[in-house]
Amino acid sequence: MSSSPAIEPYTLDLVCQLDNVQGMVDALACVRWKRQQDALVELSEHGIVLIVEESGCLQAKVYLQRELFTKYEYGAEGRPKFGISLGLLVDCLNTFSSPGHSNTIEIKYPGPDMELLLKSVDTLNSCIYSEIRTRIPETNAWDYNFEQAGTAPLTFTVKSSALKEAIDDLEWPGSILQISLQKSPPCVTFRGEGHGDLQIDFMYYANTDLLLAFHCDTDVSYGYKYKFLKATTANIPGNVVRENRGSKLTIGRGGMLKVQHLVSVAKAIAPQVESAGYQPPSRIAYIEFFVKPEEPADD
Amino acid sequence: MKFKAFLTENGVNLLEKRFLPAFDKLGKTCFLFLTKEHLFFLHNLLNGDGVQCIAQFRKDALFDDYHVSSQNEDRIAFSLDVSLLHRAVKSSVSICTEFSAGLASNSNRLQIKLVKKLPPNCTQPMPFLTFETKGYKSAVIQDVPISRPLSRSQVIELQTALDSAQDLPPTLVQVQDPNQLQNFVDRMRHVGDVLNVTISKHGDLQVQISTALVRLGSEFRRLSVIGEKSPAPVEDRNLTAQARSERAVARGDAMSVQVSVKHFSKSLHCHLTKPDSAFYGIAPQGSCLTVIFQFMVPGTRQTDKSISLHCRLPVLDPGSN
Repeated sequence: MSSSPAIEPYTLDLVCQLDNVQGMVDALACVRWKRQQDALVELSEHGIVLIVEESGCLQAKVYLQRELFTKYEYGAEGRPKFGISLGLLVDCLNTFSSPGHSNTIEIKYPGPDMELLLKSVDTLNSCIYSEIRTRIPETNAWDYNFEQAGTAPLTFTVKSSALKEAIDDLEWPGSILQISLQKSPPCVTFRGEGHGDLQIDFMYYANTDLLLAFHCDTDVSYGYKYKFLKATTANIPGNVVRENRGSKLTIGRGGMLKVQHLVSVAKAIAPQVESAGYQPPSRIAYIEFFVKPEEPADD
Repeated sequence: MKFKAFLTENGVNLLEKRFLPAFDKLGKTCFLFLTKEHLFFLHNLLNGDGVQCIAQFRKDALFDDYHVSSQNEDRIAFSLDVSLLHRAVKSSVSICTEFSAGLASNSNRLQIKLVKKLPPNCTQPMPFLTFETKGYKSAVIQDVPISRPLSRSQVIELQTALDSAQDLPPTLVQVQDPNQLQNFVDRMRHVGDVLNVTISKHGDLQVQISTALVRLGSEFRRLSVIGEKSPAPVEDRNLTAQARSERAVARGDAMSVQVSVKHFSKSLHCHLTKPDSAFYGIAPQGSCLTVIFQFMVPGTRQTDKSISLHCRLPVLDPGSN
């Protein structure tokens, strides 16, 4: 069985193996809202973080902690960073995945020319391999410096499928979506105005299967560009909906919005275990979006 | 010029469920070439551009009472729209089934023949391939429009092209699981347009896309080889796929050509014909990439010689050798 080249004069920063490529494809596709996007990748002994940004107003991060991998050998000093095309990475990873199988992939960095190296490792007489060019990142990722809004967090957790549906439904009214949190009665409102208007309310006590958690001690309301909010839910993978997961939204100081999703990276396991809705935490990838508000609502 | 035959149940199954769906994906039109013993479906044989596909059926694989006659050594050729033919066969089948419910199974048969008819609003009679199903009390006739049958010189041109397309590459490797290859190429399409294909006498097949930003490939090793073969050198065993194929090409044990990903994907539609395996080879001087599909007699390990299907993909570059 063929493996690495015969001569390897340098140590690799990272050699890791993942036993379910499709999970990684799902997690990365979650932050792909355009066909071609540049991403920044940071490697550390804790795992891999991939960051994508748009026009200084929207940032997404994918956390793939080391426990997701079946092997994670970290040999770098410090934290190497490189730029890579997200679209290309997702399309390449997707070729390693075949339907109905769990495919094991080995990821190495850096290659002889600083490439990211991918290779399938679970098949005897065939293999898939890929070398993707990386670039030196010009700037560091924008640190969105998310801070709590006041003395207590303003946050709610809503069923991911309901969130996606609500945002999809609000597509036609206009280009700004208003998100309001009301302390009493506890309620989250999504409102779009423009070509007509549409409002979707999640009442905490009425919809306990949709609104799973709610913390709010003062009423707030902020507007966000629709296209950025859409980007936070447009590519939620199917398994998030199937597993009934919740997405957590937090409004920070100045109206900065944080949206968090959980994406399962586990192998497909026995149906009875899946339906219990429980996944060991180490088999979950964390996705975070930060959205800057439009001018503050006068309320 | 005359052509008349009855499609057997086996013939209908082969065409309706397997071959016509594949031909539909390979190209809008194709030639139908009838000879005394065989029927051919020919895609892109006379224009150099796309994927050439040659399907050959022995007359008894499809028909009973097959009669063909013409002044050109009993050969007839014409072109038609594959989707119209597919539709006609499909609806003839459903009519046949309706008619035969409750009746003796051979009381109606699907007859196919070449006719000239005067369509409405036309002054000239036009040629058609007609499907006729005669039931107990009624008959259903479907006409598939076809081109004017090819002239003698055009038929010779077609026959010559057909003969030269039958050359076998010196080395062929057998891919047992075409679905794996298809799944890979279908996903690879998003990454690039040009595919490098390397085939070695050791039984290695490598397909790779290489652009400025990425190299993505798949290697299949230890495939069965037909034709010129040689054992893989031990020292190459632990190299990367890329290094292994480069060394094999340098030694003269492998050939490499570039084809369009679109063409390769298109040729994979031939899997709809449900072949038992596929053989890949590169023609001498790297003039084209050949894929030959093998069909076994059902329930046996014998090749069914009454059906043959192969594709030839144009090569983008002379390739390295």
